[in-house]
Amino acid sequence: MLEVSQLSVGYGEFQVLFDISFKVKKGSTAVIVGPNGAGKTTLLKTISGLLPIISGSIFLDGIPIQEKKPHQIVEMGIAQVPEGGRIFPYLSVEENLKMGSFPKRAREKFKDRLKWVYELFPVLSERKKQLAGSLSGGERQMLAIGRCLMSEPKLILLDEPSMGLAPLIVTHIFKLIQDINTQGYTILMVEQNVKKALQLADNAFLLESGRIKIKGSKEEFFANEYIKKAYIGL
Amino acid sequence: MLNLIINAIINGILLGGVYALLAIGLNLLFGVLKLIHLAYGQFVMIGLYILYVLVVNAGLPFWAAAIITIIVTGILGIIVHILIVQPLLDAPRLNQLLALAGLIIVFENLSMVIWGADYRNIQMSLPVVAVGGFYIRMSYLIAFIGGLITLGLLYLFLYKTYLGLSIRAISQDLEGVELMGVNPKVNFYVTMAAGGILTGIVAVFFAPIYAVHPHFGSSFTILAFIIVVLGGMGNLLGGFISAFIMGVVTSVAAFLTTSEIADIIAMLIFIGVMLVRPQGIMGIREAR
Repeated sequence: MLEVSQLSVGYGEFQVLFDISFKVKKGSTAVIVGPNGAGKTTLLKTISGLLPIISGSIFLDGIPIQEKKPHQIVEMGIAQVPEGGRIFPYLSVEENLKMGSFPKRAREKFKDRLKWVYELFPVLSERKKQLAGSLSGGERQMLAIGRCLMSEPKLILLDEPSMGLAPLIVTHIFKLIQDINTQGYTILMVEQNVKKALQLADNAFLLESGRIKIKGSKEEFFANEYIKKAYIGL
Repeated sequence: MLNLIINAIINGILLGGVYALLAIGLNLLFGVLKLIHLAYGQFVMIGLYILYVLVVNAGLPFWAAAIITIIVTGILGIIVHILIVQPLLDAPRLNQLLALAGLIIVFENLSMVIWGADYRNIQMSLPVVAVGGFYIRMSYLIAFIGGLITLGLLYLFLYKTYLGLSIRAISQDLEGVELMGVNPKVNFYVTMAAGGILTGIVAVFFAPIYAVHPHFGSSFTILAFIIVVLGGMGNLLGGFISAFIMGVVTSVAAFLTTSEIADIIAMLIFIGVMLVRPQGIMGIREAR
């Protein structure tokens, strides 16, 4: 579904990503783990079209998307849940969800999908008239995920869904992400919470200093000595 | 005496409607583009001149002239966006301010060259009607109703359409809006066109009240800014409320004292509110 090939990205003179190549299969969950500053957020921003590339290409279902604008990429079916959720604090919960259904293909299905998102996240239904800025951290993350589902995406990009959340809430959010994947959505997630993230993964990639160091299945990652020592702490 | 005070309050409310109409566009531009449109009053002035030319020189009926004026100011909004605002969108705020201040000079001097320094009005005097012992100026009543309708339509646009929703969201998080599939350029164009259209509407309702001259704009820009800042910048409802406060205060104070002292009282109230609530009546203090 998604294929990233020899991608290099930088901010001005400062190169952040070097020669990144990987694939995400339809219906799978791929996880990119790595330390702070490795370039994980940069990678997702580049896929969403927010950052220009230096070289390389990105394909969605075989179509190159690296020259497309962010709104065109969303129209093509890639939706991102950005770091920290980035909900619109002065819009109500329901208006935030409506923003999610902005792409033309999603608008006519707004009511059905809203019902579905409220079933997935009952707490959002209880708070639908409230300003999103008044939600707790976990609720904001749920709103951001719900908002992304409103656009009926082919591929969901999740940027550190666990960031800043209490362990219990992280477990809950990861369970929801797993449920969403089970319903057929393809997921590409970047995470610092390596152990939890790997449990969801079909495939995993280790990103260090802008390069992919290790690729493999969940089992291979859990068996890898370096990963165990540096990231899981076993 | 009491009757006269009530009459002053009624006039103040009507004046508030006129002020509200004036401030809507400025508020919208700030809310969406974070644009401090210094040349806003000059836009209204250009609208009034266009209306004057169409009605007095070209002899068009008022309604036709009004429609053309609103369209032309809308287009003018887009032109200013392309030439001045868009190139400076990421520039320091001061550059934007200076560029728009430059636009004031361009508009004022152009008006001076084309129409001279004379006061011009379209010679459309509307009556003052007596209703149950109170005197009401029709021109203010019409502007008041026009203000309410305009605000209602803007509300429907901003709160009931996808484009309106995304225009409200874009002022909160530009990149976040792009990730929702919104093309921000479209939003900016629509907002600047709407800002232009609103100045055109203001000009249409102002035409029976005010005569236009090359320095007409500045005082109205200042007035509009005071209303917008008092209400909370970018907050449409706040701007609406503060317009009525300013209208009633000015009108009642002018009745009890003189119009010069009324202006001073209005300014004192404005400064007082700013000292207590710098974010304005309905504004939200941003924690950044």
